[in-house]
Amino acid sequence: MSAVDTTPQSPEKTRMSIRSVINNAGIGIALLLMILFFSVASEHFLSANNITNILTQITINLVLAVGMTFVILIGGIDLSVGSVMAFAAVVAGKAITLPGLGATELIILAVLAGVLAGMVCGILNGVVSAYWSLPSFIITLGMLNIARGAALQISGAQTIYSFPFAFEEFGSMLIYGVPVVFLVALALVVIAWFVLNRTVFGRLIYGIGNNEEAVRLAGHPVFWYKVAAFSICGLTAGIAAIIYMARLNISSPIAGIGFELNAIAAVIIGGTSLSGGRGSVIGTLLGAFIIGVLANGLILIGLSDFVRQMITGLVIVIAVILDHYRAKYSAS
Amino acid sequence: MKLMKFAAAAATSILLSTSIAAADDKPVVGLIMKSLANEFFQNMLAGAEAHAEKRGDYELRAVGMQNETDFESQINAVENFITQGVDAIVVAPADSKAMVRPLKRAMEAGIVVINFDVALDEGAKEQQGVELAFVGPDNRGGAKLAGDALGTALGEGAKVVIIEGNPGADNATQRRLGFEDAVAEHKLNLLDSRTAHWETEEANQVFATMLTANPDIQGVMAANDSMAIGVVKALESAGRSDIKVVGFDAIPAVLPMIEDGRLLASVDQFGQEMAANSIDLALDVLAGGPQLEGWVKTPIELVAGK
Amino acid sequence: MTASPLLSVSALRKSFGGIHALDGVSFELEPGEVHALVGENGAGKSTLIKVLSGVHMFDAGDITLDGASYRPASPHAAKLAGIQVVHQEFNLLNDLSVAENISIEAMPKTRLGLLDRAEMNRRARAALDAIGLSDVDVTTPVRQLGIAHRQLIEIARALQSESRILILDEPTATLTERETERLFEIVAGIKAKGVTVVFVSHHLEEVFGICDRVTVFRNGETITTQHITDVTPADVVRFMVGRTLEEAQHGSTEMHPGAGTALSVDGLRTTANPTGTPVSFELRRGEILGIAGLVGAGRTEVLRAIFGADAKLGGTVYLEGQPVQINGPRDAIAAGIGFVTEDRKEEGLILDMPISANSSLVDLGAVSRRGLLNFGKEREMAARGGARLKLKYGKLSDPAASLSGGNQQKVVLAKWLAKTPKVLLLDEPTRGVDVGAKAEIYGILRDLVAQGMSMIVVSSELPELITLCDRIMVMAGQEIQGTLARPDYSQERILHLAYGQTQTEERIPA
Repeated sequence: MSAVDTTPQSPEKTRMSIRSVINNAGIGIALLLMILFFSVASEHFLSANNITNILTQITINLVLAVGMTFVILIGGIDLSVGSVMAFAAVVAGKAITLPGLGATELIILAVLAGVLAGMVCGILNGVVSAYWSLPSFIITLGMLNIARGAALQISGAQTIYSFPFAFEEFGSMLIYGVPVVFLVALALVVIAWFVLNRTVFGRLIYGIGNNEEAVRLAGHPVFWYKVAAFSICGLTAGIAAIIYMARLNISSPIAGIGFELNAIAAVIIGGTSLSGGRGSVIGTLLGAFIIGVLANGLILIGLSDFVRQMITGLVIVIAVILDHYRAKYSAS
Repeated sequence: MKLMKFAAAAATSILLSTSIAAADDKPVVGLIMKSLANEFFQNMLAGAEAHAEKRGDYELRAVGMQNETDFESQINAVENFITQGVDAIVVAPADSKAMVRPLKRAMEAGIVVINFDVALDEGAKEQQGVELAFVGPDNRGGAKLAGDALGTALGEGAKVVIIEGNPGADNATQRRLGFEDAVAEHKLNLLDSRTAHWETEEANQVFATMLTANPDIQGVMAANDSMAIGVVKALESAGRSDIKVVGFDAIPAVLPMIEDGRLLASVDQFGQEMAANSIDLALDVLAGGPQLEGWVKTPIELVAGK
Repeated sequence: MTASPLLSVSALRKSFGGIHALDGVSFELEPGEVHALVGENGAGKSTLIKVLSGVHMFDAGDITLDGASYRPASPHAAKLAGIQVVHQEFNLLNDLSVAENISIEAMPKTRLGLLDRAEMNRRARAALDAIGLSDVDVTTPVRQLGIAHRQLIEIARALQSESRILILDEPTATLTERETERLFEIVAGIKAKGVTVVFVSHHLEEVFGICDRVTVFRNGETITTQHITDVTPADVVRFMVGRTLEEAQHGSTEMHPGAGTALSVDGLRTTANPTGTPVSFELRRGEILGIAGLVGAGRTEVLRAIFGADAKLGGTVYLEGQPVQINGPRDAIAAGIGFVTEDRKEEGLILDMPISANSSLVDLGAVSRRGLLNFGKEREMAARGGARLKLKYGKLSDPAASLSGGNQQKVVLAKWLAKTPKVLLLDEPTRGVDVGAKAEIYGILRDLVAQGMSMIVVSSELPELITLCDRIMVMAGQEIQGTLARPDYSQERILHLAYGQTQTEERIPA
């Protein structure tokens, strides 16, 4: 659709921007319809408790998906986030159960250790895939196994437990019924939105996803931007690990198996293109909500596990088909 | 010959431990386990290694899998052990049907085979003309023990839910059946039964939602302790201390919960000893003892607070 | 020519959501003629071709083929009707062999349903021989062939099935003059076999070289159809632009390069040239230095090496006499060099991004503070650049993809000019740009040079180099063959050097 015979100045312009608004709002409308449906289908859906539940339930996926958005925007993918989260959780778990330190020191140490462990994995993903221009699909598949193995090795495949009370309290704290951990995730969304839309860094993340060579020839260090995108993804996996620990008061080396797929699904349902360069973290927020509302609502209306799984799969496929049309419209 | 054995062993990427070249007269026992990412099997392996060191009269070669469903690598392990000419194979099958044929080949090669932890499928054994005893705990019986504890605590007519393991996995199925046995016996009211894939976070989410749908739940049966922990956390968040939970496996992380009553009970199947006991049985047969028959049950025990 | 037309199009209309891409197109094709379609980009030629080849359905009007109504529902239907298109962008599978590509639409099978390789190769051989391409081995992977051969293979593929009308969409855009001549011989051969050829081109000399008639498009309408013998190129241009084009591009006002050297290159060795004579030359201040040569002569490689876009094996670049260490585009830009690349879609523009974001891409520092973008400043920069280059756009927030080729190229220029480079490297600066915009771009480049900028221009269009440049350096086989000053310019001389010592290396069809 490259050599299109259209003149530059035309009413087409306004139509295109209206269409793009509708595209983005489309996810929101889908979410609203879903909420409307479940509110009618189940008396419990809109109860205060259930809303708190949904917010809690989407938190970890949302945190992972925010980082994933950066990686997918540069045209990459990170399959390792679930394992990296487990690795970070085990590292932080080891740190937080160290003997002879006060609760505050332990918590600070654990948060630093967990986030750092996640970031190190992300940096490795980024450096290896960007330096040798290797497909991140393969490199992060490798990291998926490396991080999982490391988590099992460090923990001796044992669940780590008995954390300081203050840490546990943070995980279940509510402010007006809103889980504090969800607010953390929301803050990450806001920060990510700001970075992607208001900074040179964000501009070039989009640029690299669209046309890496043009960005490189404009004198920008593409390598470091790519490493940064993967590092952010590792960082959010580390944050997700801390939230996991605070919420469940354990850190398990088998935590997060398959979480990467949910995070990718949230990003894609949110309208970010798998080929990079197009999408938004607000879409990711909505995508995470759609997955969370679906999982919650389908249980509430009493659908079996297997039908639930099928419907979730269906939603992903529909999202990708919609993305196909979005790409088509924006090209013509 | 020894070099070839070594090369074959090295070729098995999943090979975990080989004791240093034992004298040739010592019998070699191949131990095939399921996912070593599972605490239960990790403990089992540790137990077997300690056992081998203690007895000192056999050589242990242990193999695990990447994950619960990777039975392909178990089949490869059996074939490698046949090639290496081990004297006995002690196996916890990942798939009760798929493993029958390779194990039959091992028996035909004159290897003593002991099936433990999960029983091979009776129908498949019959079809292949294999007669093989099973050494292991009764997952169904164990789950019933936990279910009985819950039933006794709650009384007839109590509303309960089940959190299942991976759908299709044999131990998950057996445990679900055991829970259902207890439901029937104690005339409990089973409201819902859902999988959380053995996972803490998922159990937490799934149960929280089930609790919303059925706020009058009185008891929860979780097919393993990881999921039981997720359930307990969901109850804490919901501020519900009136609901009783039972788990399975008695991993160290739940012992404090049983202590303070957040968890009613769990079930210990003494995994650490299970592999070691099976190896003992294999060595007995090798030493000329009688063939095993039927189901050699290993001990299970309910772990409950006061 | 016979009285009854082969294909007749009348009052054809087609719109895309309110945009009238075709707004009354009428013309006729006679059997066995070569018919040119000309017009600026956006005039409707591509849309017409897409309608004829079954990609788009038309909204109103009428097409008859051989007297019967013709309304193809798919490209396949168009092919069945005998209408074949060779597109500007190739549709070849690069890793498959020539034979496989030629047979891709209908692979021959043996009785067992397996691929009949012998038959496939035989058909491919016949198809290639039919257009006189006897020097190409049908088992060669397409990847190993030059761009000209790929084009010819597309033509062979199009012609192997019974074709009545062959549409060539800008077939010469990527060809050198020699390759173009070769293509024209083949077109003449096809015509002799009674096939009607529709020829779309921006190059009027080609149109006048091989076509029988020409139809001119403007703003989605056909303006006129003329016998080529009845019009002059100037007439056609007048029809195209609807005004008399000032012959700016042939006026070629004499430039007066200032004193001093802007950039010099000493002993440059590109990765494509590990063993030959390294490249050394000087660019004077305020000068436009052209580099001529065949495709693959090493021109682009030299520009990319100077700019640091590709690693170089050796050599030094001096800027105003001082050696500069250039390890990447970043260094080059810092030193004051800009690079307008050959392929604006792949290397120049971020098509999905707004015009403003593209304009600021090289100088993001100027529109940001501590990493935070200042959108007001960015719009200002883009508006300034747009005004300076007479950019025609709707809104600065429109994606670059919405612009025509010429305006896209202006955005690329604006992006580099934002940083006011001392030396601007331009690779095929007017490729895919229509006649009007071309003249504008020449004017812009001249203005910049008058203000003291220096430029190196690589182009495959000799008239462009002759019009624009103060000196022309000719390359072949990765080496400089000679440099001509303005008084010595002639197409013959340049071609002589371009083919000079490399006849054995270039695989030129016999």
